[in-house]
Amino acid sequence: MAAAALREQLNTLLSSMFASGMVDEQFQQLQMLQDDGGTPGFVAEVVTLFCDDADRIISELAALLEQPAVDFDKVDAYVHQLKGSSASVGAQKVKFTCLQFRQLCQDKNRDGCIMALAVVRNEFYDLRNKFQTMLQLEQQIQAQQ
Amino acid sequence: MASDAAFQEAAECIPRKTYRSIISQVKVVVCFSMASKNQGSAPRALVVEDIKVDCVILLRMLHKLNCEATVANNGKEAVDLFLQGKTFDIVFSDKDMPLMTGPEAVAKIRAMGAKVKIVGVSADFGGMEAFMQAGADVFLPKPMKLETLESMLQEVTSKKNMSA
Repeated sequence: MAAAALREQLNTLLSSMFASGMVDEQFQQLQMLQDDGGTPGFVAEVVTLFCDDADRIISELAALLEQPAVDFDKVDAYVHQLKGSSASVGAQKVKFTCLQFRQLCQDKNRDGCIMALAVVRNEFYDLRNKFQTMLQLEQQIQAQQ
Repeated sequence: MASDAAFQEAAECIPRKTYRSIISQVKVVVCFSMASKNQGSAPRALVVEDIKVDCVILLRMLHKLNCEATVANNGKEAVDLFLQGKTFDIVFSDKDMPLMTGPEAVAKIRAMGAKVKIVGVSADFGGMEAFMQAGADVFLPKPMKLETLESMLQEVTSKKNMSA
């Protein structure tokens, strides 16, 4: 597919991610840091790091919430970490679900936390799919140049 | 620096050969002074952060702002750098880290007598009190904005150049 068509696809994808609230202006800042500095792989590096980290944290949370006695302090610490890194990359929806999750941790509501984890996981998987598509399109565009 | 008009006026009062000699000597002095200032003015930052993604983003911002950066993965590593005699113009410290938290590290760095500007950074607004009590100068919520970072570094650079 021609580079122009690929670029249009990429722009459409990014526009929809912003319009749906999936990402916010912090993600724009990352894009600016890449474009201004001539570091083409910067966003890919950050997004990949975030996704690997989030995947790991979600697995840890699932394991903690399966315990007969849930350590809510540990759960909260992980959710705080995920909230922080999602804010750093502009993953707005994931960040908001983490805010709700933290409240349930503080209430020591186990069932609520399990449901919140499911929401966080779904939001993260949606975002990860979009990021993967974005990176694939960028690679295809670069290959054409 | 003198304006073009002032140079023109001076040129009319002294012999051309002498004027050219003076101007070339002044240019050398100005260039050397500017070069020295440029070499000495790049601020040196210590980034104390255990979350890789946050570290990579902050390093990229600092690089864009022509700031040299060293990384410590937790508070203990940061304190060890100061104990080794390393000096920095500014420290950016996360709050919650393994081995030693940001506020704990800040307290130890201050106890050593280090006058470095320390910026506490956290996604947790409750971190501000802990950082300020420990001796940090400023607290910034995550994620940091490039403009905020830029103005902070400009302040550090001006102070550095004034004391140079």
